[in-house]
Amino acid sequence: MRAVLLACALMTPLPATAQNRGPILTDVVEGHILPGYARLSKATGALSSAAQGDCAATSPELRAAYHAAFDRWITVSHLRFGPSETDNRAFALAFWPDTKGFTPKALSGLIAVRDSAVETPEGFAETSVAGRGLFALEMMLYDPAFMETEDEPYQCALVQAIAVDINHNANAIDADWVLYASQITKPGGQSAFRSDSEAVQELYKALVTGLEFTANTRLGRLLGALDRPRPKRAEARRSERSLRHVELSLIALRDLAARLSADHPEIDTDLAKAFEKAIDRAQRLDDPGLAGIATPQGRLRVEALQQSINDIRSVATSDLGPTLGINAGFNALDGD
Amino acid sequence: MTSRRRFLAGLAAASLAPTQGWAAVGAPDYLAAALFPDGSHRLVGLMADGSILFSLILPARGHAAAAHPHRPQAVAFARRPGTFAVIIDCTTGAQTAALNAPDGRHFYGHGAFSQDGTRLFTTENDYEAGEGVIGVWETAQYTRLGEFPSGGTGPHDIRLMADGKTLVIANGGIETHPDTGRTKLNLPVMQPNLTYLDLDGSMLEQAELPPGLRQNSIRHLAVRPDGLIGFATQWQGQTIEHPPLLGLHRPGDEIRLLSAPNAYQSRLQGYAGSIAFSGDGASVAITCPRGNALHQFRVEDGQLIGAFELDDVCGLGTGGDGFVYTTGTGAVGTLGATVKTSALQDCQWDNQLIPVGRPA
Repeated sequence: MRAVLLACALMTPLPATAQNRGPILTDVVEGHILPGYARLSKATGALSSAAQGDCAATSPELRAAYHAAFDRWITVSHLRFGPSETDNRAFALAFWPDTKGFTPKALSGLIAVRDSAVETPEGFAETSVAGRGLFALEMMLYDPAFMETEDEPYQCALVQAIAVDINHNANAIDADWVLYASQITKPGGQSAFRSDSEAVQELYKALVTGLEFTANTRLGRLLGALDRPRPKRAEARRSERSLRHVELSLIALRDLAARLSADHPEIDTDLAKAFEKAIDRAQRLDDPGLAGIATPQGRLRVEALQQSINDIRSVATSDLGPTLGINAGFNALDGD
Repeated sequence: MTSRRRFLAGLAAASLAPTQGWAAVGAPDYLAAALFPDGSHRLVGLMADGSILFSLILPARGHAAAAHPHRPQAVAFARRPGTFAVIIDCTTGAQTAALNAPDGRHFYGHGAFSQDGTRLFTTENDYEAGEGVIGVWETAQYTRLGEFPSGGTGPHDIRLMADGKTLVIANGGIETHPDTGRTKLNLPVMQPNLTYLDLDGSMLEQAELPPGLRQNSIRHLAVRPDGLIGFATQWQGQTIEHPPLLGLHRPGDEIRLLSAPNAYQSRLQGYAGSIAFSGDGASVAITCPRGNALHQFRVEDGQLIGAFELDDVCGLGTGGDGFVYTTGTGAVGTLGATVKTSALQDCQWDNQLIPVGRPA
């Protein structure tokens, strides 16, 4: 009886979704993802070279290379699936938010014992993700507690090890994406995605999650309680990159959104308008480290920016999502 | 001595005056929350056949409720990161008390009563520390007595084991902060666990998933009367991976993970919403609203014995020899020898189904 029941239940056919989304999938991969990771890889190569050339925390060349590489990371940081997640690469590139202060702890731990892990890339790759990546490098280059230590050669070796490790991870993601691309562009068959629908949903999720991350984590964490703003939670505030991250992420997400809505010009127009408003607000903020959050006026402006990002998300979830076949059940959406 | 005498008197009162108990409201089989067409969120006394005994308006959308073991009282929790819960007298629908989370804490949406009904245990977030705690409340006035660590981050479901002496807690592992709503703050380092505590909060045992499943958040629990625990998980890792979403554990043993064949497992979107054991205890099931599926497994050998497509299914409880389920489209159904819709109500059933008057 049970066996028969199971057989019947298992033969229920999959719901038919026969829309051809091939062109969108190809366009996102070839126009958005692959170039993004290629640019990141190039920038981290330059960063690694700069650290070998001059490892001093105040080196203009090193700092410029750090900023360029971070820019490239932010423009792909919403693409959290596939090669970026292999071996925790994305977390090793950018461990943030760091709610429990793991990054300074990890760096202090390495420095305290002059950990020899910095001597080889393989050894360093085994250390905590919290002490690696762009946020660890930021601390080494911009935090007074780490810019100058008693043991200059070790500090230099640590900076270089972080830079090499960043480049290694970025190269690995870039190289893997070239192979992984067909998973998205050719769903079904050998792909982990069984249909166009599943592949396009992954890309849609990257858009919505990216908007949420910028609105809630990059900005929302700063707002704190009304009487207790949290300016020190700003992302990469030491190198005054906080606002730039908001702007760069929105520009990258606008590009992804436009490609995903290619079949629906009206939705594309609405999304473009919503992005334009948010990006414009970000660009007019003129507060690189978002320290102004501590003032009532600054808070209002950040809240307005956050709201305009939530408005983009509303258009995406109410208009774009349904065209891509996103399940919108009462319980399916609950997430608890 | 006084408290013992009062306690015994209370027991006597409960047994001598059954109209004071759940019978006074018609002895519902379950409590469930639902969204009604008029926009109200209500707590519903539900029978296994799908009929509604009562529906009482809640202040807002809730997550789960807890039913007092003797008195016709329910605690309805706000959705996380809510800081309030209301005590509802199910005979009148009146709110008789409220729980307010202390400063620096919010509820996760689940609670469990002690066997004698004198204590309520609630899962909470100490969000500045990013650590889970269990709040302890007395149930005469519902004042807070204290708290103890939950044994992990993000405690979600909590159940009292059939021995009446052990709490089992699903520490989901995910750190959140009310400043950022439900944003997950610690995915790179999350570590869920199953924690067993005695009623004073002393650690009895902890069980963890294998290292590769660190991002499989343990959320919901079911307890079989013999002490076997079932848990349902929500995968935070890659969408193209389809890890098991159901685990079984008995204190002292290793965790057993149950999974459907990949063609079925891969339709679940890494998300199980609820779990229950069958009435005969021989099978265990999870509901998967994102995959519109209910999967039933034989406990003995972990084999999948039923995979059913049910639109937005989520609430699940023990019923008869088998199960009762609810869906976001209003259906109440049973799974015994087969799946059968018992009733279609004009409401959207929310994700948890809480049994009244017996452990689950």
